[in-house]
Amino acid sequence: MALANNYQQADTGTKMLHIGKNTRSTIISKGISSGYGRNTYRGRVQIHKGATNARNYSQCDSLLIGSTCAAFTFPDIQVQEPTAQMEHEASTSKIGEDQLFYCQTRGITPEDATNMIVNGFCKQVFLKLPMEFAVEAQKLISVSLNLEGTVG
Amino acid sequence: MLEIKNLQVKVAGKEILKGIDLSIGPGEVHAVMGPNGSGKTTLAQVLAGRLTYEVTGGSARFQGKDLLAMKPEDRAREGVFMAFQYPVEIPGVSNAYFLKAALNAIRKYRGLEEIDAMDFMGLVQDKAKLLGLDETFMKRGLNEGFSGGEKKKNEVFQMAVLEPKFCILDETDSGLDIDALRLVANGVNTMRGPNRSMLVVTHYQRLLDYVIPDFVHVLVDGRIVKSGDADLARNLEKHGYGWIVEEAPKPQPARA
Repeated sequence: MALANNYQQADTGTKMLHIGKNTRSTIISKGISSGYGRNTYRGRVQIHKGATNARNYSQCDSLLIGSTCAAFTFPDIQVQEPTAQMEHEASTSKIGEDQLFYCQTRGITPEDATNMIVNGFCKQVFLKLPMEFAVEAQKLISVSLNLEGTVG
Repeated sequence: MLEIKNLQVKVAGKEILKGIDLSIGPGEVHAVMGPNGSGKTTLAQVLAGRLTYEVTGGSARFQGKDLLAMKPEDRAREGVFMAFQYPVEIPGVSNAYFLKAALNAIRKYRGLEEIDAMDFMGLVQDKAKLLGLDETFMKRGLNEGFSGGEKKKNEVFQMAVLEPKFCILDETDSGLDIDALRLVANGVNTMRGPNRSMLVVTHYQRLLDYVIPDFVHVLVDGRIVKSGDADLARNLEKHGYGWIVEEAPKPQPARA
């Protein structure tokens, strides 16, 4: 998970090397950009020779808050074994005015709504974390976003 | 309950509502009908507080308070609810979580304590039955991957849980099959009461066969050109909007 707020530029990534036979891996990356933040994700997946029947699934989701931020994704997949199965999915979504307005008409402030949407976005990752860690991560994101003034 | 006076609204510089007068008393159900582009949805959205609509004149008072000066979330907390024509999706946020957040935000505003988790589940199950929704429904992401019918049901379901004083239904009947329409109408009807008013925006008579309105208003080109009772809606269904446009070309004030 990566977050870029204000004028921050986050350039993060993962490397996954498959060396042994029948190995499997899953990568889930969630990037959040807000303010003038730029989030870059580089994901290298290598399937070495001899790593037969290796499988990798990569998912890279980006969430944009406001219209002045950006997100970039650079997948880099190197396969030297024909039996490998590779999957890569990427998505980019934006917290839209429609979503915020919808929440507002239900009595939820835009700040709370943004928080809620961000948490929903990260939920897939939070669920994998130990409980205490997930709670901390959730708070950290909420504080880091410092939502005042970033919405609207 | 709601007093709209000479409401004028512009969208992107274009005048959409050209002076709406409408008075809705407690317990009344008003239907607003009209051809495409007459300003029905604009009226609904302005009352709910959409910012893209610019109010250029007139007023709207809800229970004596200036509705147009309030933020959308405060309108909701005061008891205004809008069922969307196109509800949005929020992936990863469950229906139950969203609804609880909404309910608690409203309760807090009214000086009530947050609802107990058990009470909340009970409340939700009661209301879900009303619309024929099963339990897995609550765990799914908010409108995430819902069919058109499910989204509309969810709107009425939220309305049933939040128990607003004034409900705006923006073309809630569009995209529903007959069975779903009946369930939705049934949900709406059980919510009718002496202290709850509704504004039903629709193209068709269909919904109004089930939810029988006390008043029907016809909106043409940003003005209410004719008002009447439920019979007016039936006439419209038979004869279309053409005759009204011809009969009343001049702006006419609605029921005072």
